[in-house]
Amino acid sequence: MNSLLLVILILLAGAVLSFLANRIMPILSGVMSFLSIGAAAVIFFVQVSAADSMAIPISGFSLHWGINAYSWLFGAMVLGLSVFVALYAIAFMKGKDRLGYFFFNFNLTIMAMMGIVFSTDWVSLFIFWEIMTWSSFLIIIYAGISEGRVGTKYMIFSAIGGYAMFMAILVSNSLLGSFQIADLVSGFGTLSLGNQALIGILFMVAFGVKSAVMPLHVWAPRAYADSPMAFTAIFSGLLSKMGIFGMGILMISVFAQGTIGQTFIFSNILAWLGAVTSVIATFYALIQKDAKRLLAYSSIAQLGYIIVGLAIGTPLSIMAALFLAVVHAIFKGTLFMVVGAVERQAGTTNMEELGALIRKMPWTFMAALFSIIALAGVPPLGGFVGKWMLYESLITSGFGANYFLVIMVFLSSTAAFLYSYRFLFGLFLGQEEPEFDHVKEAPAIMVVPMVVLALLLLVIGAFPGLLFEPIANAMAYMGVDVNWNMTVLSNVWGDEVHMEPLWTSILVMFVIGATFLTFKTRRNTRYVTTKDIHTSGEIPEAHENMTFSVNFYQPFERAIEPVMKRKMDTYYNRIGEGLESLFGFARKIYTGNGQTYAIYVIIFLSILILIGETIFNK
Amino acid sequence: MVVSPVHFIAVPLLAAFLIPLLAKVSKELVRIVPGLVIGYLSVVSVILMTQVVNTGQPIIEVIGGWSPPFGINLVFSAFTGFLVSLMTFMAFLIWIYSYRFKKIDDAPAQKYFILFMMLVTGSTGIVLTGDIFNLFVFMEITAIAAYSLTAFYRDRDGAEAAFKYLLIGSFASALMLLAIVLLYSQVGTLNMAEIAQRIHTVPQGMKITIFTLFVVGLGIEAEMFPLNGWAPDAYSQSPGPVGVAFAALVVKAGVYSLVRVVFTMFDIHGAYEFLIIMGAITMVIAEISALKQTNLKRMLAYSSIGQMGFVLIAFGIGTNAAVFGALFLMFNHAVIKGLLFMSGSYLVYNTPSKEIKDMAGIGKKLPMVSFFFALGALAIVGLPPFSGFWSKLYILMAAADASFYYLMGTILIVSIIEIVYYFRVMGRLYFGKPQNDVVLQKPTLGGIFAMGVLATVIIVIGIHPDFVTGFIQSAADTLLDKAGYINNVLQLTNL
Repeated sequence: MNSLLLVILILLAGAVLSFLANRIMPILSGVMSFLSIGAAAVIFFVQVSAADSMAIPISGFSLHWGINAYSWLFGAMVLGLSVFVALYAIAFMKGKDRLGYFFFNFNLTIMAMMGIVFSTDWVSLFIFWEIMTWSSFLIIIYAGISEGRVGTKYMIFSAIGGYAMFMAILVSNSLLGSFQIADLVSGFGTLSLGNQALIGILFMVAFGVKSAVMPLHVWAPRAYADSPMAFTAIFSGLLSKMGIFGMGILMISVFAQGTIGQTFIFSNILAWLGAVTSVIATFYALIQKDAKRLLAYSSIAQLGYIIVGLAIGTPLSIMAALFLAVVHAIFKGTLFMVVGAVERQAGTTNMEELGALIRKMPWTFMAALFSIIALAGVPPLGGFVGKWMLYESLITSGFGANYFLVIMVFLSSTAAFLYSYRFLFGLFLGQEEPEFDHVKEAPAIMVVPMVVLALLLLVIGAFPGLLFEPIANAMAYMGVDVNWNMTVLSNVWGDEVHMEPLWTSILVMFVIGATFLTFKTRRNTRYVTTKDIHTSGEIPEAHENMTFSVNFYQPFERAIEPVMKRKMDTYYNRIGEGLESLFGFARKIYTGNGQTYAIYVIIFLSILILIGETIFNK
Repeated sequence: MVVSPVHFIAVPLLAAFLIPLLAKVSKELVRIVPGLVIGYLSVVSVILMTQVVNTGQPIIEVIGGWSPPFGINLVFSAFTGFLVSLMTFMAFLIWIYSYRFKKIDDAPAQKYFILFMMLVTGSTGIVLTGDIFNLFVFMEITAIAAYSLTAFYRDRDGAEAAFKYLLIGSFASALMLLAIVLLYSQVGTLNMAEIAQRIHTVPQGMKITIFTLFVVGLGIEAEMFPLNGWAPDAYSQSPGPVGVAFAALVVKAGVYSLVRVVFTMFDIHGAYEFLIIMGAITMVIAEISALKQTNLKRMLAYSSIGQMGFVLIAFGIGTNAAVFGALFLMFNHAVIKGLLFMSGSYLVYNTPSKEIKDMAGIGKKLPMVSFFFALGALAIVGLPPFSGFWSKLYILMAAADASFYYLMGTILIVSIIEIVYYFRVMGRLYFGKPQNDVVLQKPTLGGIFAMGVLATVIIVIGIHPDFVTGFIQSAADTLLDKAGYINNVLQLTNL
């Protein structure tokens, strides 16, 4: 059997089986889901090759599936992360309600993402795109109907995006006579400028919604924060990357063929949207009290960088974007799992209440620490390499205005340090509270995926070439040649700075330093309580609070207050209310009175008889 | 077995008259016989459909030996056959669904089955007949059965709804009759094929007046805006299975006759554009109204009107691909809206107020029904991989090929509205806070079976649309082949 079909069928069967398994024993549901995703991953990594392709004929056209270096990258990302999350989910979801429902949709979402990746024509991509949308919607509402109407908002925005894509697909089909992605790439240049813009904008809206670009991001924070964390790891880590997947196809190959690609419109507006998204979302992340919300906004901000990279469109920036995309999937997936573990063990994710979980959940802390280092872009973990390349590509892109983008990205990534620290401090450091004494480390089945992913970040940080190679292959497939040697990373000043020795020495120092500190402190470790401190002769009482995590960044919050005042959300809500009242007016046409209806018939008939000649006489 | 299209009319009509007599023999027969009749008709439709598809020729039945244009003829072509098969299939499921309808009280059940048989007779008759006056007669049969079924629950609301329906429906009859009289005075025949042949001899002004009368008269039956005021009340006040019958049979017959008039009988080109515009207005207004409904059945009714608007748009585009899409949508609408009305009725049945907000959390108590409703909701808004997606795809493809970009935009924006109100109900069903004080009425075995069949059809067609596309394609070809229709019907006279 065709291995592509096999992957999809295994995931589908996993969805159905985990739904049924819930009837036998709830825990089996998660196990079923994990096994099917594992099996699919094995087949994907072992069997799937570039030669695989298949076509499903449907009356009038046919659906095509295939795999290439670019889709392989995303496919590997999806299944690679999903396996870990699925393992984590078994323990995370244990004891919760309606596990069959949850895992059915969980598997279906992953199946849909693989389907998107495998599709080589737009119709099958759209089919899987919509399956992904509704299955993820069903998980978002799993937590219950909230007063913020999170699910509805997600569905409305997804529908706008989905139908924008649908329209773009149909228009391009009517103009080019083909649904194939490859034909859009080759034929895009032949279209008129207006049609190029129409198709381009529609596709951008479609992919922009899923990757939460301003101003289409309003669904994201609550949707990420309100879903079960086991799913949010997928949702933020992978589902949003499907938007990036589509944007990549457009920005890298399609627009490059068109005359519109060279003009100001797409690349720069999008880059600026990405940059603004990253700055604003970072500010929002800073003022959150809830760790889930913090991470949700942080996700939006990180996607902003990726979009900047894609939009700039030089080989280096695309590479940076794809690199960041993969790394973001890993660290954000891990971080959401960390928050999930904290939520499950401690019962809350409010950073103002929590604290000092480092001793109780050391392994979770380790995973969180590594991911946060990667997120903040501090060497030697993976995030640094990506950010470095992004800055460099912006500076070397040879377009003056991009220096402002550098400033924006730099601002947001500096501000990201603040929330990164707050995340670590709020959850794991600070003063031990008696109410969290009972907290224990999460079960092994949850810890293992987190720790493995954290170590993976270290490996990628140490050997970024591991990731550069598939990315370079993907880019070569898309028609962008790139030299991915580390040595050419920083040749702004004309010199080739040999990064590799430099990099290796940083890494060695990090490892040696970490080892040294561990061993040095280990010998004379003395466990102290938070109150065991010198305070100018005063002895703090047990109830006295010594560390503060309330109003953490108050001065900063005051500084950014003017920016935060205008929320996109309020505008949308106003539009929504306006439409509602307009609709309320429109529905009054149906008065419920038979006489009115009879009058409608008579008026309609009279109008038609009066002007019938002009209407029908053509 | 000798089968002929005339069975579609004769057998159920006979059954309708025999039911009171059968009731004297056994109470159970009242319930069994309609099923046997419709089952038989389903078999007939399958046999005839295979014959039509194999030979490529329509089956034309001449009633009483009077060949057209003098006598009445029935045309079972790929197009009409497709609709008739769909109708009998849906009618059969409705029968299964309502087998235990009013189980405790047999007198109303008897009335229900009589009227239901008449509804089937009328609807299939409208589709099959080749004579315009005969079409009018069948339309009256359908309408009278539909009025009575609307008022079935002898309460105030039912009576009011039936009265509105009657009021507007009598307009439809009057206008239709006037149109037929005028047409007869101009062309001197009532046979639709012959009318089509001679219509170009009618003076333009007269032709347009007649056409206008037809459009308004039939537009009422096809739920075109602003003639559809009767529909929401009729759908929401009639018993559950009747709502299904309205969506699957009555409206389909109305749309069929409108399409027959526009495509076959008249040659007015402006009519296509008119259909698009009216369809779009119908759809937009109906979906907006659906969004504001708090009563589930009314919401479904408005959604049904909206879908009919969509069908009219697709017919208005008029290309082969668009007609194909329109027929596919009619098929999907019958199946999906059938499922929604069937499951929705149980939800309403268990919620005394019939309000959507009171259905919160019913998903846990009625898992099957809620699942079917959710499936129907996903399918009707056109989400893949369910059958509703394909019809939407084909229609929009046709619209794109005809460069109707604004129209596409409108359709898609309206679809977003549709998603909002269906998903709102879905979310509430599953994740609202349940109210505990309700005693639940579980669905009957027949109900589950009927809904299960529809759900299976939705999923199977969604994954493999080619099961039906062949039939729909030949139906679309037949509809657009006007010369073929005229020849096929009239060659009988030359024999």
